[in-house]
Amino acid sequence: MAFDQKYASYAVAAVAVAAIPLSFVGPEGLRLVVIGLFLLAGPGTALVMLLRFGSPDQVEKHSTLPLAIAIAVASSLALSTIVATAMVFARMWSPPVAVLLLSLITLGLLALGAKRSREALVGA
Amino acid sequence: MTPEPTPTAPPAPAPHRHAETKHGGTKHGDAKHSEIKHAETKHSSAKHGGTVPPAVVHHEPSPPWKLAALAALAATALALGIWSLLNVDPERIGGTGLIEALPPAFFVALALSLTGFVATLNLRRHTPALLAGQVLVMVVILHSADPIIHGLPRLEASYRHLGIADHIAKSGQLDPNLDAYFNWPGFFDFLGLVSGATGVKDLIGVATWAPLGINLLLLAPLLALATRITSQPRQAWAGVWIFFLTSWVGQDYLSPQAYAFLLLVTLLACVLSAFSGWAWPTGTNRFTASLARGVSKLDPTVPHQGMASPPPADAAVLVVVCAGFLVAMTASHQLTPFAVIPILAVFLLSGRLRLPFLPLLAVALPLAWLVFVASAYFEGHLSQLFGSFGDVQANTLGAVTQRVSGSDSHVLVVYIRLAEVAFVWILAALGAFMAHRRRTAWLTAALGAVAPLALIPGQPYGGELLLRLYMFSLPFAACLAVLTLIPDRNGTPGWRRALALLLLGSVLATATVVTRYGNDSMEKFTQDEVSLVNRLYATAPNGSILIEAIRNTPWQFQKYAEYDYRALLAAQPRTNPDPLTCDASNRIAQRSGAYLIVTTSQKRAADLLGTTPPGDLDHFIATCGTSPGWSKVFENAGGVVFHIKGAGNGI
Repeated sequence: MAFDQKYASYAVAAVAVAAIPLSFVGPEGLRLVVIGLFLLAGPGTALVMLLRFGSPDQVEKHSTLPLAIAIAVASSLALSTIVATAMVFARMWSPPVAVLLLSLITLGLLALGAKRSREALVGA
Repeated sequence: MTPEPTPTAPPAPAPHRHAETKHGGTKHGDAKHSEIKHAETKHSSAKHGGTVPPAVVHHEPSPPWKLAALAALAATALALGIWSLLNVDPERIGGTGLIEALPPAFFVALALSLTGFVATLNLRRHTPALLAGQVLVMVVILHSADPIIHGLPRLEASYRHLGIADHIAKSGQLDPNLDAYFNWPGFFDFLGLVSGATGVKDLIGVATWAPLGINLLLLAPLLALATRITSQPRQAWAGVWIFFLTSWVGQDYLSPQAYAFLLLVTLLACVLSAFSGWAWPTGTNRFTASLARGVSKLDPTVPHQGMASPPPADAAVLVVVCAGFLVAMTASHQLTPFAVIPILAVFLLSGRLRLPFLPLLAVALPLAWLVFVASAYFEGHLSQLFGSFGDVQANTLGAVTQRVSGSDSHVLVVYIRLAEVAFVWILAALGAFMAHRRRTAWLTAALGAVAPLALIPGQPYGGELLLRLYMFSLPFAACLAVLTLIPDRNGTPGWRRALALLLLGSVLATATVVTRYGNDSMEKFTQDEVSLVNRLYATAPNGSILIEAIRNTPWQFQKYAEYDYRALLAAQPRTNPDPLTCDASNRIAQRSGAYLIVTTSQKRAADLLGTTPPGDLDHFIATCGTSPGWSKVFENAGGVVFHIKGAGNGI
């Protein structure tokens, strides 16, 4: 599981980093796929990877997977919505800046998750 | 043959463990409370044979050929379903909707898909991945007919929503006085962000495939919720399956309500998973003690599947996440945040939610938004908002009666919708009753299903309140409905029950083909109509008045604020409708002229709903089109556009 989580973290980080330049420039199709995927699940996946759902036993992990996916998607959508709405009301509308902000949040959450995993390993 | 599953010793007593995390066990020293809990546990699991703790059940793996056969069945159903939908002739879609045009192969595909799910559910070893595949195939077959057949977004509102997002993406500005959407702009801000950040100016492809995408996104939260309110995984999967089979209300287009519903289901799954339990010590006074006893008497179990209570730091993060869901929901949709309130309130009062401030936050946020952010709308629509407050009859029977009108075929569709709703509710009630008798989990689902009905005295929500309430309660009602057929203990339902489930699924799926796609003749649009609107935009200068005869045109997907959009009639049933006259259009165009558009979909809507006498729009075009000041600008298979000259500068 730790192996999977490490590579999942790399994938989320890669999408978050790629989304930053693509929010300024790039082929339309590629921008839609990468940024669409990032706004749909990026920040939420980083958040879910930071959290510890229940006990680490395999049965519980399986039964919490739908909840983890649901929270990953819904929290990404909610966070993107809140950032976009705040920008509109603050009259500071800039989609690339919003993507940059969300990418930084995602990378920050991933870093926190990695630190927490390391601490857990040391504690064990 | 694989041997019977062999349960091993359960790892921990599960009932009430969530309640124990805060107030129970060693942390809580209340003797009375402990006594109650002890009695409940004994009562439920020993005396009445209630929900058994989550034993780790080891099954022999299903034979590979069986899994392969079921996967092949799903793949065949998917391929056949898509092929049959690609071969639908849209011209054959009539008054009862898509069912008139569907080839027999579609129903074969649907039957294969239903059979595949039931057979997978009946495998000795619970196989979530294969079950997920079977449900996804059914969702594609049943809920993606519109994008596959028409290749365009359904419902004129989809086009309007694209226009609002386009306006925000380009300007970053709101115009709260333009219409209500700009007072709850969250979802449109998000779409504007997608458009602005990706450079994709036209999100029509996203809108086209939104029904499929939204249903796919709903799978995980629905399953997480079902897992928390049922006794075993097969019940949860069957509940999700029934949800998709009976979700006919068609709110799953690119809309704030679909987005808010996704957040709602996730929020409820999250609170039931992470924050289940009593918010107060249940033995401190008579009220809390009797409340706990009453709840325990009704349903002595606490569904034990899913997540154990998270560590404190994680719980704090999840509280913030839940608050974020409420904020995003409040910023995006008028009704959904109000539906959350009664559901959270009943969960709090039944020991299913131990965060007393969450219902309070759910009340405070939409009220504060209404008063401080949507003040322009609030002040201008006070009578609309509160005019029918408390008028239960007008908001229920009145709204239903209003909908049972229109052409004979439309009335038939409406009656089938009512019958399907009644059938689901009867099944849910029966499931709740049987579960209560069996002393298994039912109360959380029943409370969640009934709580949204508290909105009925509020207002009719444009006559759509009952539709929305059905949608809010369906995730819970579907889980109750399956309790009639799926046993509470881990294991296969058995072939008799599986056959009954297959029969039930077939009836519901067939009904949903009629109920979901019953208005397809007017909700679908053609490329010709979109081309007609594009030509209108290319011709009409900014600031022009654009008139639609019936409010059912695929427009406003761009230039949302640049034109003055008007409609002669709303697409609603009318008793003894009068024919359209030229006067209404001439009055609007009197000063500065206007453009009038009449499309095929407008004609279909008028005929289907009885908005005008049959064939009246053709008569309207023939008579008014030749009257003084009217000139035909262009025409194609999708409709016609006229320019009506005004007395002023005559644009």
